[in-house]
Formats: sequence, C-alpha cells, structure tokens
Amino acid sequence: MTEAAVGLVAVSHSRALGEAAVALAREMLHGPAGEAVRIEVAAGLDATTFGTDATAVAEAITAADTGAGVVVLMDLGSAVLSAELALELLDDPSARDQVLLCPAPLVEGLVAAAVAAAGGADRAGVAAEAASGADAKAAQLGPVAPAPAVEPAVGAGGAEAIGTFVVTPPHGLHARPAALLVQALRGLDARVELRDPRTGRGPVPAASLTGVASLGAGAGAEIEVRARGPEAREAVDALLALAATGFGEAPPTAAPTAAPTPSTTSTAEAAAGQAPRAAAFGQETGPLPASPGIAIGPARLHRAVDLRVPDEKAEDPTVERERLDRALDEARRTITTVRDATPASEAAIFDAHLTMLDDPALVDAARDGIAAGSAAPAAWAASVDAAERTLAALPGEYLRARAADVRAVGDEVLRALLTSSSRLAVPDVPTRGTDATPLESGDSAPRVASSGDEPPTPSPAPTPLAPSGAPTDQIHEDPPTAPAVLVAADLTPAEVAVLDPEAVVGVVLAGGSATGHAAILLRARGIPAVMGAGPAVLDLDPGTPVALDGTAGRLVVDPSAEVRAVFGARLAQRAEQEAAARARADEPARTRDGTDVLVGVNVGAEAASAAGTGADLAGLVRTEFLFLDRAAPPDVDEQEAAYRAVAEALGGRRIVLRTLDVGGDKPLPYVPMPAEGNPFLGVRGLRLALRRPDLLAEQLRAIVRTAHATPVSVMFPMVTVPAELHAARAALDEAVAAEGRGRPPGLEVGIMVEVPAVALTAAAFAPAVDFLSIGTNDLTQYTLAAERGSAEVAALADPLSPAVLRLVDATCRGAGTAMVAVCGELAADPVAAPLLVGLGVRELSVAPPAVALVKQAVREADAGEAAALAARALDAPDPAAVRALLTAAD
Amino acid sequence: MTTQQELLAWVREFARQVTEHRDELTALDSAIGDADHGANMARGMGAAVEALHADPQTTAGGVFKKVGMTLVSKVGGASGPLYGTLFLRFGTAAGEVTELDPAGFAKAFRAGLEGVVARGRPEAGDKTMYDALAPALDALDESLAGGASLGDALRAASAAADAGRDATIPMLARKGRASYLGERSVGHQDPGATSVALLVAAAAATLG
Repeated sequence: MTEAAVGLVAVSHSRALGEAAVALAREMLHGPAGEAVRIEVAAGLDATTFGTDATAVAEAITAADTGAGVVVLMDLGSAVLSAELALELLDDPSARDQVLLCPAPLVEGLVAAAVAAAGGADRAGVAAEAASGADAKAAQLGPVAPAPAVEPAVGAGGAEAIGTFVVTPPHGLHARPAALLVQALRGLDARVELRDPRTGRGPVPAASLTGVASLGAGAGAEIEVRARGPEAREAVDALLALAATGFGEAPPTAAPTAAPTPSTTSTAEAAAGQAPRAAAFGQETGPLPASPGIAIGPARLHRAVDLRVPDEKAEDPTVERERLDRALDEARRTITTVRDATPASEAAIFDAHLTMLDDPALVDAARDGIAAGSAAPAAWAASVDAAERTLAALPGEYLRARAADVRAVGDEVLRALLTSSSRLAVPDVPTRGTDATPLESGDSAPRVASSGDEPPTPSPAPTPLAPSGAPTDQIHEDPPTAPAVLVAADLTPAEVAVLDPEAVVGVVLAGGSATGHAAILLRARGIPAVMGAGPAVLDLDPGTPVALDGTAGRLVVDPSAEVRAVFGARLAQRAEQEAAARARADEPARTRDGTDVLVGVNVGAEAASAAGTGADLAGLVRTEFLFLDRAAPPDVDEQEAAYRAVAEALGGRRIVLRTLDVGGDKPLPYVPMPAEGNPFLGVRGLRLALRRPDLLAEQLRAIVRTAHATPVSVMFPMVTVPAELHAARAALDEAVAAEGRGRPPGLEVGIMVEVPAVALTAAAFAPAVDFLSIGTNDLTQYTLAAERGSAEVAALADPLSPAVLRLVDATCRGAGTAMVAVCGELAADPVAAPLLVGLGVRELSVAPPAVALVKQAVREADAGEAAALAARALDAPDPAAVRALLTAAD
Repeated sequence: MTTQQELLAWVREFARQVTEHRDELTALDSAIGDADHGANMARGMGAAVEALHADPQTTAGGVFKKVGMTLVSKVGGASGPLYGTLFLRFGTAAGEVTELDPAGFAKAFRAGLEGVVARGRPEAGDKTMYDALAPALDALDESLAGGASLGDALRAASAAADAGRDATIPMLARKGRASYLGERSVGHQDPGATSVALLVAAAAATLG
C-alpha cells in the first residue's frame, strides 16, 4: 500500500472542463503512486449548466481526503467563492486545516499538482508546484508585456555546458525520476534547461518538477541538457550520471549484462561502463525506421570529421574573402558531382544545397565577418551557426530538418576551407572506390548480410553511385572489404550519396529525421537504416555486433542467438525466395488457381536493362527519353529506330509505347509553354500532345511504322475525358492512313488511368481501347492531393490508400473486355500483387529488377482468395490497415 | 416583531421580484458579465421557495439557512456563494427563533452583509452588490436608532439601496467578471447591486 497522497479537487464552472482537466492531469499519473492520488471534480450545476456549487465542493473535498489533506484548484469567479464557502460547509471544521485553496491556473496547476502529489509532496509542496505550473509555458513563450529580465544574473558571464541523455525508466521521466533529476541539481549554481528535440517540447527549467514532467519524455526519449552558470559543467555531469544509473529504475527488460565486446581487455570495466548504455537501447527500445531492410554486422563508428575552426590569424580581408569564394566554388563542384551521381528522383536535395551556397543571408553574413577582421573559416562558421540556430528554433520537424541542410552545406564549405589549408582529417566513411579501413574486430566479423523487406525499387538510372541491380536483395558474403553497420550521429546527404552498399550493409543514426534527406537518400540507395537510436550508440565499441530492422525500427546491440536466428532466417528466406524467383523468371506468371497475369517491364532510355529480366512485355516505354535535353524534336526515322531497339531488347515481345508525356513540370525547349502555377494540374501528357498536333502526328507515324515490324501498343497519357481519347484515336487513324500500308495487325490502343475522373468513368473509355493502364504514382498523387516529392506530405501519398484501391476497383469494373494493367510503383510491390490481381488487374509492369519477384508473387497467389482479400482491403479505413491485411495474408 | 411567517413572505416576494426582473438583471449582466445573473437568481430563489415548501422551517434561522444552502447549490454563479453566505449568516445570527425584533432583524441582516464581505472581500466603490447592501443596512440601523418603525427603516434602507444601485453606474468594476472589462465596465449598472435593491425593496414591502 502506498502512503496516502494529497488529494486534489478541481472546481470549475463547467463539468466538461473539470473532467477534461482531471483526465489531462491523470495522464501524468502512473503506477501505484499515481493511483494513490485521488482527484475529485466539483464542476457545473449539472452536466451542461455552468456554475459552481459550494456543497458539491465540500463533498468533493471530503471524498478526496485520504489522510494527507487536500489541495483545491479552481477556475475563476464563483469557483473561488464556492470553494471558500465549501470550507465553511465542511461537516468537520477541523478538516478545514487539511485543505489548501491554491490560486494556480486550473489546467496547468492540476497537472503540476498531480505530479507533485504522486511524488509524495505535502499540501504546501503540491500547492507550490501547482502555482508554478504555468512557468514552463511562460518561459517558452516569453513575457507578454514589457519584458522583465528573463536571464537570471547567474547566466551572465557563466560558462555554458551541454549534454544529452536517454530516458531509460519504462514510464519515462515521470514524477519519481523527474524528482531525482530536480534533486540532482539542487545546490548547483547553474541554470539548466532540458529539451526533447524529437517532440520539440521544452526547453524547460530542470529545476522545476513541473517543467521536467511537462516534457512528457517517454522511455527512449533523448533529452538535450543545456546549462549556464559557474557550475554548468557540474550540473550537466550530474544529470548524465543520474541518467546513466537509469534514474534508479530498472529498464523494462532485465538489464542485459554488458554488451560483450571482441575486446578481451578489462571486461569488468567494460561491463561497468556499458550497463547503463545497454539499458538505453535495450531490447525494447525502439529507434525509428528510416530505410527498410534488415542488416546484421559489426558496428563501424563514423566519427564526424573534425571541423573545428582553428584559431588562426586572419589575413587581409581581400585574401580571406577570396579564400571563402574558392571554398564556395569547391563546395559547389563537390555537391554538383554528388548530385549528378544521384538518382534523378533524389537529386533535388543537392539542388537545394546548391541554392543555399548562393543564399545571401549565409554568404553576406560571412563576408561581413571577414570585413570585420575574421578569418574565412571563423566567419563562415559563425554565419552557418546563426542560420542553423534560427532554423532549429522553428517549430515543426520539417523546418528543423532544414537546419540539418544548412549544417551539411556549411560543413561542405568548411571542409573545403580547411582542406585547402591541409587541416582536414580523412572522412571515416567507407566509400565506393576507397579502401575502407579494416574493422577493429579483425576478421572475425560475423557473416553480414543486407536485405530489403520492401520491394526493390531502384532507380533504373545507371549512374555510377546508384545501387546496381537490386542492392536491397544482395547477400554479402565476406567481400574483400568486410561489410559493416555504420553507426553515426547523423550523415549528410553527400555522405550518404557516396556510401558503398557493399561495405555498408546498414546504418544506425543516433539522431536524424525521417523527413531529412539522409533518410530519403538511404531509402533510395536501398541501405537499411534506423535513426533516432540515441547517443549511446556512439559509445559502442567498434566491432560490436549490431542487428537492425529498418522496416520495423528495431535495433539490437549484440543480438542474442535467438535474435540473430530470427534476423538471419528472414534474410535467408528472402535470399531463397529471390533465387527461386530468378530461376523461374522466364516462366509465365500464373496463379495457383490458373489465372494468367502478364508481368511487364518499365523502360526508358536504357532499354537494354529490360533484357533478360523475364518480362512478358515492355508494359511501359517512356518515350520522353528521346525528346528531353535537346533543341529540336527527334524526326520520325530517329524515333522508329529507337522504338525498334526497345523491341529488340525485349526479344520481339510486345512493347507499349506511351506517347510523349511532358508538361510544365518538364518543359521542352521546342515546346514553349506558359508558366503554370501548378504544372501537375496543367497542360501535361495528351493535353499537350493535342495542342501540338505536329509533334503527335510524327510520333504516331513512327509508332505505326514500328508496329508494322513488331507487336506494338500505343498508350496515351494523362487522359481526362473521352473526347481527348477520340481525338487521339483520330490522329492515330490519320497516321495509319498516311503510312498507306493499312492498319498494322498487332497494333493495340490504350490509355493511362492517372486522373481519378477516368477511373470513375472507365466504362466511357473502355469501348475505344484495348487496355487501360493505371499509373498508380500519379493516380495516388491526384487522389490524395499530396505531392510525392514533398517530404512533408509524402506519407499521405500512399498507393495502398483504400481510396486509390477503390479507383483501381472502379477501373476494373468499368473496363468491360478491355484489359486492366498497373504500371505504377505499386505493381512492383510483391505484397501488393495478390491485391491487384484480386481487384481484377491482369498485367503488372514494373522496374527491371522487380520482374522476377512479382512473377513469383503472382504464382504464390490464388485469384479466388485474392478477390476476397481485395474486397476486405476496399473496406479498410487506411493504408496501414490494408498493409496489415496484406502481411497477414502473406 | 417580525414573525417567521413574515420572513417567509419576504423570501417569496424576493423570489417573485427576481423572476419578474430576470430579463432586466440578465441584460445588465450581459453588458459587463456573463449574462446569467437574472436566470441564476430566478432559478436559485425559485428553488429556495420550493425547498421551503417541501421542507417547512419553523424558525427564522431555519428559513434563512434553507434559502442560503439552496442558493449555494442552485445559483451557480458568484451570486450563489455570495447570496448563500448572506442568508446563511443571516440565519445563524437570527438563531432558532420564531420571531425577531427590529434590532435582532437588523443585527442578523448585518451579519449577512459581513458574510458577503468575508466571502467576496468587496470594498465600497468596487461596483458590486456591496455598494447597494452596505448603504441599505447603514440606513436601516440609522433609522431604527432614530426610533423609526421597522417598516419605515426598511423603506429608508430600500431608498438607500436604490441610490447605491444607481451609484454603481459610473463605477469601474474591480471585482468579478466585470473587472475583466476594465474601463469598459464604466457606464453600466451593476446587476448584483440591482438584485440587492430588489431584496431590500421586497423586505420593505413584506415586513412593514
């Protein structure tokens, strides 16, 4: 039995308000200590009539008192009067001395009082905590009126110290650990603030129990400590020491004994040093998923390059300014190189970085610093620091992630500045073309593998740094450079872009943001990764075995045999599946119950990549590749030659040639277009082609000629209404007539279904086409009004949204005898294959590496079961529920 | 002597008056408060009359305590605890008697005023019910001291309450919701002072 806690009474004019305030406060109460706190509500005359009732307050006070007395919090006016009157109405007059009416604001006060009461404070202590309940808010928002001095005297001239700790108590920084934390700082001459960068809560004063509790820091939270004052360092050390003991609480799972290390020296010492750390990322601590896939390997620590600005004497400002300009140029070249080597879909990150190099706010501030007598590195660093601080202070993870961009660009320039003066250490990142340093663990590195859980969706662009083949599916067996799991505080996009997936099978980031570019690039590179693992991972001994699941967001340090077995089994299973799939790539894809599904390949300029994939056809040939990056359009002969080359690469199988699909988002120099506010909703695809009949006529003639030689389908993109289709068909008929050889026997006609209107009215198009091909990428973007390229809303643009699936369903229902294909990214998701087949899709066209896997997924499906699954998916509330259905079925 | 029956009549008359003036009181309150004074007082006094009917009281103290307790739990707004305290203290001071002499009546009424002061801590000029109640009781005491009958003294008190009520118009509110309005409370008659004027007028009408 817990000792009696001070009881609380919430008096409000509104019962709803009173009850909600209590519910809010109860969130802070956990465990027996929390349950011991009795909170009564005396609010409203009834459930809906505002008012306070002194007799009800008196009854609430009596009910709340379990022996330690009662603190009453009120909203305003009559609540105060009624509470005072209630004291007079108490049956036992001596009980009045046990009651304290507290002038704290009701909501904040109640939360603070609840925490304090659970922490065992007496009436006065509870009331005092409640009274300062709004302090954190005041500190956060600053003074309202004429600003009183915020900084206490101690801040001035005092030292500053910072640190970070991970919250290990299972219930987070609740009252007891928070109280220990406050106590640890008592008597130290320092002003200490805490902040949770992940939630954005804080900074709050660490000296206030209320403040600490209001961080709401749960287990695994990573708290930043910032201290100012003569004993700032001691204060930070005291907190970190307390955190290292786990705040005196056992972590949820039995604290693992020290992570055994390959090192044989001083095991006891290592154990002592590592116990709290192990607790910090114990079995149940969840880092965030950053890039899907599984990896097991020895930890390889990436120490950030030491970019500390040297204390150097500034040369003449003209010299320093030239030095800065040279460094800016060099950084520009480096970033451009990285950008050019990055898949097009992710290259925008580096374009943004290049823009920052020209940002006057950044560059001018540095030049001002130089003019004022600073050396170039110091001036640049100061300018970057200021810009980063400004961004980091903004609300919202997205904006704070942009602070990381500024830092990345800033470091690039600083690196250039310092390299030119030969002060730069060689980056400790294994990069392609560089021999990575051997691991400290020697050659006892365990078998290391990496595998994607997600469908491989590598960019087809054959860039030197792009993952070749299907990197997420590769099994690494003791390659020359022992592969490892890279552990870093964070990585810049440039660092991620040059990672060698052969040498780095996974990445663990102590910090990082899922909307940051490092995560986006890791996904594009197909390197499994987790982030937000906490700073403790940076203290891992190099070579410590690490297992991570970037899909689920799991990190296991020194995995047990069982964990290794689970991870290893999944890797092996995946490898087996892939091998089996590849072995049968050339066989047709037929479901267990005999439904044939065509699996095609999507190709662009690199038609050769489609060869040998086992594809039944080229389900989507993006003809734009012929038209981009040139001053004039290709003529009919050039086009015909290119289309025939694609057909040859496919071994004479059918090719689906999509007519020119460009628009305001991808303008062509010879197709002048007015700037559009929203090019994705403007003149694109067939809309453009019908406005440029000359271009369309030439392309259709080239297509007709090709169709006389090999099976060809023509597909019109971005159709919205049947009239557009009829106009396009008329143009095709004209091209056939112009060639004068009659209609090519195998020529088929289809349209893309990208606009929701077409999906919903598919029956209006079906009589005029042989097939409908759903472009799930654009269909998703248009259905959910979310641009996939925007990190902020990318999560909304989920092709497994039931809304998108309903449009696929509508298309299949309206298609009649026309065949329905899917050529978007969704088709490449083997898990989604049964769902699409169940909805009625009979052709899936995917990126080259995915062909074999998708075929195999079709073979494992049963069309009948898939139809039932699809029916349930259509009724699912959200993509997560759909995914759960699919994985359960898997 | 004022009998317990006459006191009951006063309570009923006050209930009738606040009900009759409910909209006026609420209109005054809507200008500077939360627009509930008329409704609250009418509800509270209606409930008090019903409570006295359901549970008849035989003493002055019993009547007023009953009224006070009912107002405390039924009015809801600040006038609940304030009027509640007024009547509770009135009842306690009156004691378990069936009759009150004028001096005893005035003394009990003043105890009620002191309760209001203890509860709301008003000062003269704060633009509250005190600004009508205090002059009324001063006039009551003064008149009785001058040898006036209870009826005459109550009429003088009623006039003083009315004057006090009217004097709240130019005042700047320093208590209650109206105080949130600051300068904007100036120019409005205080609803609490207005209902107090009704209370004293009801006394003059029934106890004379």
